[in-house]
Formats: sequence, structure tokens, C-alpha cells
Amino acid sequence: MKRLIGSLMAAAISFGAMSQAFAAGDAAHGGKVFEEECADCHSVKDGKNKKGPSLFNILGRKSATIADFNYSDAMRAKNTIWNAEVINEYIRAPKKSVPGGKMKYDGLDDEKAREEVINYLGTLH
Amino acid sequence: MKNISKYLLLALLMLGLVEPALAVPSFARQTGQDCAACHVGSFGPQLTPYGTKFKLGGYTESDGKEGHIPLSAMLVQSFTHTNKDLSADAADGFKNNNNMSLQEVSMFVAGRFTDNIGAFAQGTWSEPDRQFSMDNLDLRLVKPMQVAGKDTVLGISVNNNPTVQDPFNTVPAWRFPYMSSELAPTPNASPLIAGGLEQTVIGATAYGFYDNNWYAELGGYQSFSKSMLNSMNVDPGDKIDGTSPYWRLAYFQDLRKQAFSFGLFGMNSHLLPGWSSGRTDKYNDIGIDGSYTFLGTREHVFAVNGSFIHENRNFDASYADGGASNKNGHLNSLNLSGSYHYNKTYGLTLGLFDVNGNKDQSLYNTGDADAGSIKASPDSRGYILQADWTPWGKEDSWGAPWANMRVGLQYTGYNKFNGASNNYDGFGRDASDNNTLYSFIWFAL
Repeated sequence: MKRLIGSLMAAAISFGAMSQAFAAGDAAHGGKVFEEECADCHSVKDGKNKKGPSLFNILGRKSATIADFNYSDAMRAKNTIWNAEVINEYIRAPKKSVPGGKMKYDGLDDEKAREEVINYLGTLH
Repeated sequence: MKNISKYLLLALLMLGLVEPALAVPSFARQTGQDCAACHVGSFGPQLTPYGTKFKLGGYTESDGKEGHIPLSAMLVQSFTHTNKDLSADAADGFKNNNNMSLQEVSMFVAGRFTDNIGAFAQGTWSEPDRQFSMDNLDLRLVKPMQVAGKDTVLGISVNNNPTVQDPFNTVPAWRFPYMSSELAPTPNASPLIAGGLEQTVIGATAYGFYDNNWYAELGGYQSFSKSMLNSMNVDPGDKIDGTSPYWRLAYFQDLRKQAFSFGLFGMNSHLLPGWSSGRTDKYNDIGIDGSYTFLGTREHVFAVNGSFIHENRNFDASYADGGASNKNGHLNSLNLSGSYHYNKTYGLTLGLFDVNGNKDQSLYNTGDADAGSIKASPDSRGYILQADWTPWGKEDSWGAPWANMRVGLQYTGYNKFNGASNNYDGFGRDASDNNTLYSFIWFAL
């Protein structure tokens, strides 16, 4: 039990640290990063799918759940919740995160830019 | 070859006929993307890096939904004013200046047929010809795959205009200006690869695009049969003797905020003038090209495109029958353009062009007012400045993804025309007399 509590506390601390890191990112600048890196294929409007699905209200959304978007089998099998950590892992290296996925994007290496764009996505609701 | 050409034409006609004309979907409808994703300034044909990859992918990318109909249409209405009236009417049914023209009405079969087959095929009714004829054709078979762990596309393009299959706005078929007057004088010399064979030939080229960087292409062209050209209302021009090889190498880098490319291309053609038999005229073209695009957030987009083509000519046939005064010659053609687009809507483009080569009395000193060259020279030089407005084509635009429109104002200035700045034709016409103010409104559906 002690171990379980210890593990939960460690997880909570690490989640908190990560959330703090993401909170530090500038959402406004994240909007520019989004325009540079993502907007060709993703809309931020509710219900507007382009080559990629709408990213409106993406934080906290269950993966592959936009009804009229044609997801890859690999993305359907991902079965996750798009929280900051999962998005961070995905946009850092999409092809490693979801092998066989359709997103033709090599990934965003810049950690700060990833934080900023995730914070920007967090404003879309 | 004759049979292949017939089947291709038949297939294209059928593709156009089997679909009901209830809707006019375009690439945008097929992909779910807005025009601005593929085109700088939200209007074709200037491609973004995304558009470059879409083309190399054989026009097959889609939103995964069924039922998209690969049909589109286009209409261009224009007005042309030259600095000085022409010595004769610009064309049948037009005046010698200040002409309004329904320049083009085009139908396209454009889009994806299967995961591996796509097409861009255009038929055009145009003034001053006033007839419907085959325009550009680019039918593609593609196979995406992994090679050494890298994304690779292998493809075959069947097309009717050397360089029309190219994905960069540096080569003749797709370079600036993307629309220009057909009722104003233009310089009388250009390399064969710059439109000298368009629509009169059918070619197949195989290409590979490796790791989203390296592009290589190799193929060949033959002339359509005369009866086929007649049925497509295309002027037969000269006939290729045998097959003209075509090749292309390029490096491309898409950094999302910016992109660049550079490359080489070439073609070697032996032509039978006027479909004669026996001796041939030989044209050996080699070109070098490059491009740079700053995209940023897409609010301010700058692009530079350029190419230089050197053509070696051997007029074995024309020299023998008096059509050329020199057996050998050459031509150089330089084209540069720089564009700025604001907010995917407002565009300003400056183009510079320079063509020069050896003098030849029979080729160039034709004795024609406006079009001749008293100095028997192909040398011409000038600039083109265009401002345009594209109000639609964005994600939230009216009519998206059904309609798009560009309104443009273009000015072409000549420093030298057919060999001289003053009295170039021997009838007192100066190069600047051909300076042209051209306006157009260009609809796409």
C-alpha cells in the first residue's frame, strides 16, 4: 500500500512538474507555431476537418473520436486521451508514436515550441 | 503509339462523361484542404511545398471519403492594351488595340480515381481560336513506399507538354506569368522546351521522389498522329522524329516555415519541319533552375523562382530548304520572378526575362510588321509586374471549396524586342510600343 501511495505521489509530482513546464509556454506564440507547422492540415474550428481532424477542444478528447473523420487503423488503435503529455509525445515524433498513422509530419524537435503549441491548443474550447 | 494515344483520349473523355454534371469538385473538395494549402496566394498554379507533394503524389491524396467527382471549370475574361496600336487587328474579330476577350473557358478532369491513379486534364475553349481543344494533360500512376526506411513515391506521368508534369514553378509550363495576353505581340524566339511542343506530343516519364528531398525523372515524347491532333483541334506544328528523351533531377527541402529547390532538366529533340520527311532540325535543351519560398505563418509569403535554359540548335532540315540561314545556332533564356503575398489574398510579383542567341536572317528577319526583326536577332528583354487580389480560397472563404477567383492587373515592359529597342521590325515600331497593360478576372469552380 505504501508503495502504491509512493508511486501515486511520484506520478502526481511528475505530472505537476510537466504541467508547470507546459504552463510556462506562451500560448500566443504557440498560435504562430501552429500556423507555421500545423495549420496547412488542421483547422481549429469546431467540426472543420481538413487533411487532419479539427483540433478544436483537443485537450482531453479521446483519440479517434470525430465521427466523420477517416482515421487510420493505427490511430483508431491508439486508444488514448489527448492530454498535454500524449500530444507532446505525438508531435515530437508522430511516426514513432503512432506507427502506421497517416500524419505525414516528421515532428517538432523544439521542446519550447511544442510546449507553446500545446498551450495554444489548450485555449481552443 | 497511335492506339495508345486513342485509348488515352477515349479514357479521359469517358472519365468526364460518366460523372453527372451536378457538382464541380476540385482538388480542394477531394482533400478537404483549402486552395491556400496548395497554392501561394490561394490560387493556382503557384505551388506551396504542400502542393508540390500533392502533385508528386499523383493528385490522389484525399480526405478518405467517397463520392468526390473529379471535375472543375475555369473562365478567364481579360482586357489588353498595348502602348501603340498594332499594324493590323490582333486577331480575327478583334481590333488593333484595346481588346476585351473571353480568353479561356476550360473544363478539367482533375483528381483521384483510385489510391494510385490521378489526373489533371484540361480542355479549353479559347479566343481568338473560338474552338474547344485539348489543353494540358497529366495522367499519373503512383506507388508510395518505403525505400531504405524513407518515404518514397514512384510514379509514371503520361502528359502532353514537356515540363507540365514538373512540381516546381521554375520550368516553362508553370512559371510566372501564370496568365498573360494572347492579343499582344510577344518575342518571336524561345527554346523548344518552353512550349514549342505543347499539346502536340504525348510522353511518358517515370519518376521517383525519395525522402521528400530527391526528385529524378526520365522519359520520352513522341508526336501525336496528325489525325489525332486534328480531332483535338491542335495545330500539328512540327513532328518529332522518333522519340525525344526528357530528364530531370532536383533537390527539394520543405522546412515548413520555408522551402527551397534546385535542379537540372533537359530534352533532346529531332524535328521534321511541317511533318516533312528526310532531314531533321535538332534542339538540345538543358536548363538549371531554383526556387526559395518563405512561408512563416502564411501571413507574409515571399517566393523567388528562376531558370536558365541553353539550347543548341542544328538546322539540318531548315538550312537545306532555306528556312534558316545558319546550320547551327543557339538560344539562351533567363527567367526570374519574385513574389510577395499578404494574408493569402494580396499579391505582387515582378518577373524579369531575357532571351538571346545568334542572329539568323531567314529565321528572324521575316519582314513582318510588329513581329519581324530587321536585325535578324532573337534578343528580347523586359519585365512583368503584376498585382492581384484573391478574395476567396481560404478556410473561411465564401464558396469554399466550390469557387475561387483572382483579379489581376499586369504590366509588361520591353527594353529590347526581337533584337532592338528602336525600329526593331524595320517599320518604325519600338520595343516599348509593345508594352502591354493587361487585366484579367479569373474564375475557378
